[in-house]
Amino acid sequence: MAAAATVYNPVGFDFSNQIRNNFLADRGIPLPKATSTGTTIVGCLFKDGIVLGADTRATEGEIVADKNCEKIHYITESIRCCGAGTAADTEFTTAMISSNMELHALSTGRKPRVVTAMTMLKQYLFRYQGHVGAALVLGGVDATGPHLFTIHPHGSTDKLPYVTMGSGSLAAMAVFEAQWKPSMTREEALDLVNAAISAGIFNDLGSGSNVDACVITATKTDMLRNFVKPNERVTKERTYGFRRGTTAFTKEEIRNLVVHEEIIGVRDDAMDVDGS
Amino acid sequence: MSIMEYNGGSVVAMVGKGCVAIASDLRLGNQALGISSNFQKIFPITDHIYLGLPGLATDVTTLKEQFRYRVNMYTIKEEREIEPEAFAHLVSSTLYERRFGPFFIEPVMAGLTKKPSGEYKPFIAASDLIGCLNFAKDFVVAGTASSKLFGVAEGLWEPGLEPEDLFETISQTLLNAVDRDAYSGWGAVVHVM
Amino acid sequence: MDSSFAITGKGYAIVAADMTVSRSIVKMQYNEDKIKVLGSHLLMAFSGEPGDTVQFAEYVERNIRLAQIRNTYPLPPPSAASWIRRELADSLRSRSPYSVNLLVAGYDLSTHEPKLYWIDYLGTMATVPFAAHGYGSYFALSLLDRYHDPEATVEEGLATLRRCIDEVSKRLVVTPGKFKVKVVDKNGVREVEL
Repeated sequence: MAAAATVYNPVGFDFSNQIRNNFLADRGIPLPKATSTGTTIVGCLFKDGIVLGADTRATEGEIVADKNCEKIHYITESIRCCGAGTAADTEFTTAMISSNMELHALSTGRKPRVVTAMTMLKQYLFRYQGHVGAALVLGGVDATGPHLFTIHPHGSTDKLPYVTMGSGSLAAMAVFEAQWKPSMTREEALDLVNAAISAGIFNDLGSGSNVDACVITATKTDMLRNFVKPNERVTKERTYGFRRGTTAFTKEEIRNLVVHEEIIGVRDDAMDVDGS
Repeated sequence: MSIMEYNGGSVVAMVGKGCVAIASDLRLGNQALGISSNFQKIFPITDHIYLGLPGLATDVTTLKEQFRYRVNMYTIKEEREIEPEAFAHLVSSTLYERRFGPFFIEPVMAGLTKKPSGEYKPFIAASDLIGCLNFAKDFVVAGTASSKLFGVAEGLWEPGLEPEDLFETISQTLLNAVDRDAYSGWGAVVHVM
Repeated sequence: MDSSFAITGKGYAIVAADMTVSRSIVKMQYNEDKIKVLGSHLLMAFSGEPGDTVQFAEYVERNIRLAQIRNTYPLPPPSAASWIRRELADSLRSRSPYSVNLLVAGYDLSTHEPKLYWIDYLGTMATVPFAAHGYGSYFALSLLDRYHDPEATVEEGLATLRRCIDEVSKRLVVTPGKFKVKVVDKNGVREVEL
């Protein structure tokens, strides 16, 4: 039966709703598409390591569902991963790989490598033949130096000095192609990533709000959440506060969370408890 | 006509000053035909967590039962009540488990987290139908009137609302959004924590 | 083309269902009972895919009976309705789902209240003061919005139901014909001739 008998479920997906959902689809009711995020994510190599960047807009169709979401996911202390595509897929895939990387580090007793995370991700995504819709930018520094990859939903990967992904990838890549140069300083790289993400934020409708950045070097990882906030909303001049009592209602119930219990003594000496 | 609009219904949750509120309409429909004007979509999970389940009505009941079961099992195994953050992840992983055959529900959660200092911190979250969580600081919406709720809430919500003012803001947000949605309405309920 | 209605009133619930069995444009039978008596205080009107309906109704009938034999006490209406809903929801996830719509009405002996549940083939369940399934629902629901009174006596309740049946007989292109009517209250289940 559908509901498994434990709280902690076995790994893998549950297909028990498939028959019903296909049956509903056959009756001419279209099934909803999973929410997909329009995104700009980038990564670039510099002198001492990697800079990753992302916008913070999450969309559901034409609606901005979240104005300040996080798209740079933790893999290990010195490996991070930007996600584009189906929001839930990027979230769960990176979380799963992150925990597998931690287990891998524990069992090998070594600092895990970026290629290991990349291989785990591509093998997982290839297994699902693109149905797990995660498009990723993976970057980090390990014993073999800094590495930067893109991973596509079907499992193909690229290793490049500067990469972009998501719906804003063209806008961001235009900036990289014009301005990227080898052996940049940390400041130069951060400025470039900021410019690339900003190009996505302002020119791609699927991307917006703030710039998140992450600088990874051999010694330190700096997660620069809301590095730049170019779309800050000004405080409202007046408020729309309603006068109390505006909304009429038919019934009010107050749920008392404190349990009151009256203790009645059965025998006379039981009354001693309250000292009378 | 998507399956998400088959039965209609909407939910909204908002943060206030040391309080949260969650509200829903009460309609159950069969496409355009109204069936019930008292269909519960918001369920108490613990004394400090409420869960709203707008979407396909059969899944509302199925998921309500499943969450009650899983939260009870959690309480027994952990020997403590589930925290709102942990519950949000329970909801998320329950939905993502069915990534390729989802429940047609977009859950909305509201709760209070007890801080070590003893005061309560407001918590709200929403998820899409395959479990992508959205932890907002202001308000979350879902259901057939979600596009209208987004607009009204964006205009009416302000930080630092006291419980009484939060009640007015969330009520007016829901009522005015639902009035412009054919599939939501037929009464409403508001919970303020 | 089946039509079924149900209402609750002061201490009772009434269920009515048409008695015709039709195949395409032909009425095959005009004295079919589409209301199962599931227990001393529980009724279930069923409609939907021919074949599925009777099969599912009998399956429910026997399982509700089994629960009573096992536990000495019969399932109260909320538990019975909840179990029936789950059976439909699970059935929809199997290779051969039942296409059955139900109205479950009962008298709860523990709370001394009538209970009515509207359940469809998807496993949607709603507790309602009055309900209808089929083409008749388009007429009956608006009439019941106007005339239903939760405090009405059985006689008044039957009169309200009569209005629904008359309206459906008058306005529906294919007249449903005769209706079977059953009442459940604290004394149990009984059939009523309208």
